[in-house]
Amino acid sequence: MRIATALLFSVAAIMLASGQEKPAAADSVAPAIGLEIGQPAPAFALTDQFGHEQSNQTLRGPKGTVILFFRSADW
Amino acid sequence: MQLQDAKAKFEQQRIKLAAISYDSQAILADFAKRHQIDFPLLADPDSKVIRSFNVLNAEAKGMNKGMAHPGFLYIDADGVIREKYFEAKYTNRFTPNNVIAKLFPELTQEVSQSLEAPHLRLTLSQSDRTVVPGSRLTLAVDVDLPPDVHVYSPGVKGYKPIQLVLHASGGIEPAPAIYPGSKTLYLQAIKEQVPVFEGKFRITQDVTIPVSKAGAGVRALLGSPNTVSIAGELQYQACGATICYLPASTPVKWEVKVEPLDLHRSPENIRHKDSGERP
Repeated sequence: MRIATALLFSVAAIMLASGQEKPAAADSVAPAIGLEIGQPAPAFALTDQFGHEQSNQTLRGPKGTVILFFRSADW
Repeated sequence: MQLQDAKAKFEQQRIKLAAISYDSQAILADFAKRHQIDFPLLADPDSKVIRSFNVLNAEAKGMNKGMAHPGFLYIDADGVIREKYFEAKYTNRFTPNNVIAKLFPELTQEVSQSLEAPHLRLTLSQSDRTVVPGSRLTLAVDVDLPPDVHVYSPGVKGYKPIQLVLHASGGIEPAPAIYPGSKTLYLQAIKEQVPVFEGKFRITQDVTIPVSKAGAGVRALLGSPNTVSIAGELQYQACGATICYLPASTPVKWEVKVEPLDLHRSPENIRHKDSGERP
């Protein structure tokens, strides 16, 4: 029973350290998949479902771009 | 497609969204029409861009040859890759809402429920309410401690650290729980420094919903036929300024609706053709 063991003590609450809040990028990332974080993304230009050409330039948002790679829309 | 539902959330963050596959433009046009997708689906039929991002699934053969590993990349406004989310197992994928929750932890997630527990208050939330098999979603526990109360963080010696423990059941694959950085508290009387959490903080844990082979187990688990319950407990020991309470454990539970995968194929004339190679 640990009720009140170490605890009759007044606690001098001094914050000495605080760690990083941000979780490490995905814990299950296999290192082999995808370019490394910190690398520049390659330039590209591809056609979208409406026949419009899209590139890393047209897809650049004020805060950046999220690109999903997916397996297939066919099967 | 789940991404269409999440599109507005990305736009609110002023992030543009696109998806790339090895499908032809005809396949993507057909798919986008059927699913009313208006953000860009980009055709990379020779897998050139898939290769340039190093996401080609080199093991895929036959009609699958050239496909990408499923996953997300976040590229900042300067064109630098800042985050990536890929699963080694090809059937598993992060949900778009999971990616949003990781990129913007401060964004409100869908709140499931609030709970009162001994010495603290809990709010449980989840990145997605509805998923497909193979989805990786984020579960979150927001802990709110009263003033002057702390709990011990993982790594503490001699006390019970706070710990989110999910009960493995139904083939659900939990990733390790993620805890915030702790504070160090100096206990004057015993001249000890201990790692603690105070105030409000969040613990998150990703779980992957199994694909259908394991689905029978999942269905057996639960309430309604297509709802998966993910249960567990939050273990901790709370202490005030002058007293430490007994170690406690509070049950926690999230429910996720699992929808079947879309198995609808493109019209035959535009489908991927088997190249003749055998896996």
